[in-house]
Amino acid sequence: MKKDRPQSSTWENRALRMLLFPAGVLVVYGILFAVMPEKASIGLKSSGNIILNMLVPLSLVFILMLALNLFLKPAQIVKFFGRGASIKGVILSAVAGIISTGPIYAWYPLLKDLREKGAANSFLAIFLGNRAVKPFLLPIMISYFGWIYVLILTVFTVLGSIVVGYFVGALVNVENNLPSRSK
Amino acid sequence: MKIAITADGADLEAKVAQKFGISKYLVIIDLDSGDFEAVPNPGASAQRGAGIQAVMLTISKDVKTVLTGWCSPAVRHQLATNGIEVISGLSGTVRELVEKYRKGDLQKQAEAEVESAARRRRIDRGTLLQAAESSARQFASLLPILISVILLIGLFNAFVSKELIASILSGTPVLDTLWGACFGSIVAGNPINSYVIGGELLKHDVSLFAVTALIITWVTVGLVQLPAEIAALGRKFALVRNAISFVLFTGVAVLIVVVFNLIMGYLC
Repeated sequence: MKKDRPQSSTWENRALRMLLFPAGVLVVYGILFAVMPEKASIGLKSSGNIILNMLVPLSLVFILMLALNLFLKPAQIVKFFGRGASIKGVILSAVAGIISTGPIYAWYPLLKDLREKGAANSFLAIFLGNRAVKPFLLPIMISYFGWIYVLILTVFTVLGSIVVGYFVGALVNVENNLPSRSK
Repeated sequence: MKIAITADGADLEAKVAQKFGISKYLVIIDLDSGDFEAVPNPGASAQRGAGIQAVMLTISKDVKTVLTGWCSPAVRHQLATNGIEVISGLSGTVRELVEKYRKGDLQKQAEAEVESAARRRRIDRGTLLQAAESSARQFASLLPILISVILLIGLFNAFVSKELIASILSGTPVLDTLWGACFGSIVAGNPINSYVIGGELLKHDVSLFAVTALIITWVTVGLVQLPAEIAALGRKFALVRNAISFVLFTGVAVLIVVVFNLIMGYLC
């Protein structure tokens, strides 16, 4: 029982933090409906329109999420990218970043563990950069910006992340990077 | 009780044929009397519908079990609906299979096959359920923030005019890009929020430079999560990575818009 307490309190803290922003927005709307009901109504209507326009792309997002969860296991791929500086490592860390899901905070413990086992800095940086590319969110992005823009943005993000990885690998050496030694 | 064995020849020493539909013969054995007959399979020379012709022959001979090398799922289904069991994956001679069948070895193999197939189906269903649960969780977790962001955008649309935005943003690509990159670097969260904000800002005539910089730095640079990144990966790593990402992706944002405009100009 004692062991469970810190975990559940962390979960509760996270849940509270996650709901803080929505609660704040609701409070703002509550105040505005009391003070400026016309403007608040316009705002709510505008939000409703945005949500309506997003329904189809959001459904596609869910389907793509399901497909990715069914067929891809990013955590397994991540385990390979510490082994030697190679093209394979670059590709695997980029792919792992692209298919990784959930908040980045959930990934830090695994990345830390890999870091301590000698994973290359460049691969960790490539992973973090490529988290900006999310295949399952493409329907939403395309609905706003069109596929040509999305294609260019995606290609440049992946290439940019690899360049960042190269520079991080060159500038940060392993010895003074470990959190335990930096204290 | 009769069993049928697909065979390359017309006797008990013939080898078991690997495909039910196009095997040369069906050797039909009456297990009670020990009699056998080798019937040429009409499907062996058929251009089309080999499987169904072999099925009809099997049914007409009152066979209860078919022993073969391989049988397609469709033919297996046809046989099963007519009460005929199929045991596949077999090799050897007809005589050897008859002996094994009499001992009950093949029936055990068939039961194991059925059980294994059922287990595979269960695992598949389990994996699907697990993936659906995981997707539902991910989807549900992004909704509160996404809906809140959309509600705020609604207020933004209600209160902020295009003129006001034009007075804040200079309209020069470099400054607009920097503005977008700074905003994108400070805030954090699921990238879907940056798409919605960026898309709505475009409707307010905010330049594509600013919007691109906002979207691309939203995830690649993270000032809010910097303490967590430092704790996990070290101070130098986190600072160097974020600094390089900010500089490089700000430049990349400009490049993206330039390339996009060039392509659109070429296409139009």
